[in-house]
Amino acid sequence: MPAPAALSTRVLLVCAAIGVASGILGAVAGWITPGVIILAPIVYGFVLGAHVIPGIIAQETLRMPWVALLAHVLAALVASAMAPQWAGRFLGTALLFGGIQELVAAVTRYRVWRAWRFFISAVVIGVLVAVVVGLVVNLTALPLWAQIAYLVCAVLGPVAWTGIGLAVGAALRQAGVGRRAIPR
Amino acid sequence: MSTASLPLDPYADAPGASPVRFLHRLNPLAKLLGPAPAMVVLVFVRDVATPVAFLVLAYAIVLVGARMTARLASMLVLIPVLAAAMGLGFALWTDPAHVADTVPLLRLGDWTLSRGALWTGIATGLRLAAIIALALIAGITTTGPDLARSLVQQLRVPYRIGYTAIAAFRFVPRFRRELEIIRQAHRVRAAGHLRGPIAAVGRSVGSVVPLLAGAIRHAERVALAMDARAFGAYPDRTERHPVPFRTRDTVFVILLSAASAVLFWVFFPWGL
Amino acid sequence: MVDTPLLRVHDLAVRHDGEELFTPAGASFQVRRGEVVLLLGPSGSGKSTLALALNGLIPQAVPAEVQGSVSVMGLDAASTPVAQLSTRVGMVFQDPDAQLVTGTVLDEVAFGPENLRLPVAEVLGRTETALRRVGLWDRRAENPDALSGGGRQRLAIAAALALGSPVLVLDEPTANLDPQGVEEVYAALADIVASGDRAVVLVEHNLDQAVGFVDRVVVLDAAGRTIADGPAGDILRTRAAELQELGVWLPTSTLAALKLRRAGYPLDPLPLTPAELRAALEAAPAPAAPAPAAAERRGFGRAEDVAPAAALVSAASPRLGGAPLIAVRGLTLRRGRAEVLHDVSLDVRAGEFVAIVGANGAGKTSLLHAIAGIGRPPRGTVRIGGDDITRLRPAEIASRIGFVFQNPEHQFVAHTVRDELAYGLAHAPDADARVADILDRFGLAARADVHPFLLSGGQKRRLSVGTALIAGAPVLALDEPTFGQDRARADELLELLAALNADGTTVLVVTHDMQLVTEYAMRTIVLAEGRVVADAPTADVFADGDLVAAAGLRVPPLCDALRGLTRHPELEGIARLAELPAGPPSAAGAPA
Ligand SMILES: Nc1ncnc2c1ncn2[C@@H]1O[C@H](COP(=O)(O)OP(=O)(O)OP(=O)(O)O)[C@@H](O)[C@H]1O
Ligand SMILES: Nc1ncnc2c1ncn2[C@@H]1O[C@H](COP(=O)(O)OP(=O)(O)OP(=O)(O)O)[C@@H](O)[C@H]1O
Ligand SMILES: [Mg+2]
Ligand SMILES: [Mg+2]
Repeated sequence: MPAPAALSTRVLLVCAAIGVASGILGAVAGWITPGVIILAPIVYGFVLGAHVIPGIIAQETLRMPWVALLAHVLAALVASAMAPQWAGRFLGTALLFGGIQELVAAVTRYRVWRAWRFFISAVVIGVLVAVVVGLVVNLTALPLWAQIAYLVCAVLGPVAWTGIGLAVGAALRQAGVGRRAIPR
Repeated sequence: MSTASLPLDPYADAPGASPVRFLHRLNPLAKLLGPAPAMVVLVFVRDVATPVAFLVLAYAIVLVGARMTARLASMLVLIPVLAAAMGLGFALWTDPAHVADTVPLLRLGDWTLSRGALWTGIATGLRLAAIIALALIAGITTTGPDLARSLVQQLRVPYRIGYTAIAAFRFVPRFRRELEIIRQAHRVRAAGHLRGPIAAVGRSVGSVVPLLAGAIRHAERVALAMDARAFGAYPDRTERHPVPFRTRDTVFVILLSAASAVLFWVFFPWGL
Repeated sequence: MVDTPLLRVHDLAVRHDGEELFTPAGASFQVRRGEVVLLLGPSGSGKSTLALALNGLIPQAVPAEVQGSVSVMGLDAASTPVAQLSTRVGMVFQDPDAQLVTGTVLDEVAFGPENLRLPVAEVLGRTETALRRVGLWDRRAENPDALSGGGRQRLAIAAALALGSPVLVLDEPTANLDPQGVEEVYAALADIVASGDRAVVLVEHNLDQAVGFVDRVVVLDAAGRTIADGPAGDILRTRAAELQELGVWLPTSTLAALKLRRAGYPLDPLPLTPAELRAALEAAPAPAAPAPAAAERRGFGRAEDVAPAAALVSAASPRLGGAPLIAVRGLTLRRGRAEVLHDVSLDVRAGEFVAIVGANGAGKTSLLHAIAGIGRPPRGTVRIGGDDITRLRPAEIASRIGFVFQNPEHQFVAHTVRDELAYGLAHAPDADARVADILDRFGLAARADVHPFLLSGGQKRRLSVGTALIAGAPVLALDEPTFGQDRARADELLELLAALNADGTTVLVVTHDMQLVTEYAMRTIVLAEGRVVADAPTADVFADGDLVAAAGLRVPPLCDALRGLTRHPELEGIARLAELPAGPPSAAGAPA
């Protein structure tokens, strides 16, 4: 009778847990954002890069299609319930970041899970973030050196955070989490 | 921002509001959709008048349509304050050579704050404030489960994802408390080890793995409990809380988009 | 009605992916309508695994290799979708919080029927019936977080009932609950059983409450094979010694009776509940030869003369000399917006073994944390060895008090068991020797290079105690050290604490197990809603039944059975198994 589900309940909930837990850890990033924008807008891209984490950890621990996007979207939905005023921003960032991570994984047919693959999605995200945020904060008004510094930060941010996410994923696997095969 | 830390029951029903508070009666998607075009276009705007107009529009809608709470009031006060602070911040960073009006306003040694730079900064701050205020329309009047339900009911997001989100609201307080305990436990254990900010960063990295490992195990147990209760048995499930998309929702989206279009038309070319 | 079994388990063997052994490895039994079956077996014998196989979660949701068969009303559990089986077998798990999905009590129970696509009217009808049966209908609009632990577990039972399944499987449904919560859950279950329309399969370590309404017992041995299957009374009475040997825990009253039998009291048949023990003793003549005194006084380890037990316990604590080692004065503590401790004052002297008890949420953990300086109590409220704890550096606190957190995984910081132990020693010159010593003492030497998270539950707990001990702190504070452990492991751990205590270590434990408190603690502090409502020698505390009940606790079973016993004054008032008269010397050493 039941339609075979593509993703088991377990995978859905594990993605949600990864999203929520990273969100709680990343709450710090949310707190310092206004301060960063006021005092040092050029490093904002670096702070924003922290948002790549849920997708990286989900892919690294579960290694299957859709988990990056799911972890991002579920985290965004939960975060929206907690701080509803940012619902739009949460969902937008989630779709953007998760979508890119998912696409890059899909291009390699979900077969290649080596580090370089994760860093490709990090660079793509970095460039996109740089463009979008650059538009919002009117980057062209800044001095040239600040524009360059900003771009470098925006691209380095996701790359550095991806590295951290991979390290956490590896530590989790070492601790026996996610080492079991996933049903279905 | 600061209000995110207020304890909030994500499941609580929106309390009954007077009919004037129309926002509470709209579909969450309508409230996301209506302001969206304006938010996107605002990204490209560079003048001061346009964001001010949208700020006024958003405040008017929220003040009339949303029930006033301490939370909303603090948001409404905070947004202009932040806008001003951000505006000043950007002004400091703006390169005077790039702006038209370089009449110096303030001179500190080598560095000058020109009127043009200040103007650019203020425009940027107001732009952000307008975008945030427009987001309030949906945010402040929508409950988490309703958003999840409307994604399922209108956007055809699989209900298993929507209900996973609803189940995951419960994770937040649990994981927060776990993190607090793990941090304390590691602080106790770290006695005799390095102290200072760098060691503190190291310790918070050290709390990530136990937190995530515990979180994933908890999620696996919840998944078993949900499966045991026939979760996902059919392609759909009985819905006792319909969140319909009614004529009033369409009207709201059209009206708000039209109002945005008018404002953009009036203020064209937005300082480009 | 034809009496066909609802559940038929035939030679079931399950091997989890990544494991080597099959556990269970050949379980067979049947469950018929209206029956209550208790599943017993030592830890790791595969009871939880078996429970998950009963509605197909294993192998459908948890990857595992399954041999043999489970048939649910004629359907094969391994191949019929779980959703379809869910209307035949309802599940209740150990952790109430891991079973909650929605935001109100009503929605929670409706969740299952909604998944079955039932019409709204029927969803609401079933929900109401189920909630009324567990007594939660009046609280239907509340957030489940507002319920007590027992209330949340009753909610989980209602959620299972609402699916309409004729079989209810419960895996240690009361492990996390305070005594009152345990009682509530069993009252609700007894009520369901009484109506005769549901069969129940119960996995439970704590038999004192469960044994009252169980019809049949199925016992698995350590490998997970069925070695006994029959009426509860028969199996528990006639094969008690064999079960004890296996490491399966028996009701306290049965254990007491076994011991009394060896001391010459003719107790036949063996009693299972406090009421039965009492009745049997009132009917039994005194033993022929005067019973020799208890050979050992566990938990104290001091030479004590032969005297009524209660007096010994009460005499033990106040004599310990000198200024208090730990002094708490006027401690008021806020967590979040609520005040969780109100004006708490107490003393702990060197060498004491103190238990802190109270209902779920009474503030036990908060108090223990404050005593260990965790989460910064207000200045001047907690002194240890005369010094204000807020003025001590973390290293100084760690050298004075070893803390064991409720969940061992929270406190692990290193990547191997060995590093975990060495972590607390930093640069001590004899670190290697001390680590090796602890590894040996805790039976962890073979797993020294394993990641701490990969240990079994019992091993994790021992490691966490080891890390607290290794620094040699004179005080040890443990938060629910028996949480999630079976009784055999709990006992092993407490033996260790008792030995340390005998060597002079001061021990503070928080626990919900009242029999354990009576067995080991000299003094008991009862907390209720953030206040100390009793602080006295353990026997005195449990002598006040009203106070104990008001604090959401219950008098431990042995105390309950022997209080006011008329026929055998020598047994009257005994609360600890260890104080029961011992049998002939050859049998006295048997673990209780
Ligand atoms: N999800 C899992 N993955 C791998 N192995 C598992 C899993 N769950 C249980 N096991 C293993 O299966 C065996 C049986 O475990 P199970 O939890 O069924 O025992 P139990 O009888 O319920 O024990 P306890 O009384 O301690 O609860 C153990 O060796 C355990 O390590
Ligand atoms: N960090 C916190 N924030 C808010 N409330 C808290 C926090 N920690 C504890 N509480 C509340 O304080 C009260 C006492 O909690 P505590 O954990 O000390 O109880 P306990 O006696 O140990 O309970 P249990 O038997 O369930 O472990 C509870 O009502 C709990 O909800
Ligand atoms: Mg078990
Ligand atoms: Mg506690």
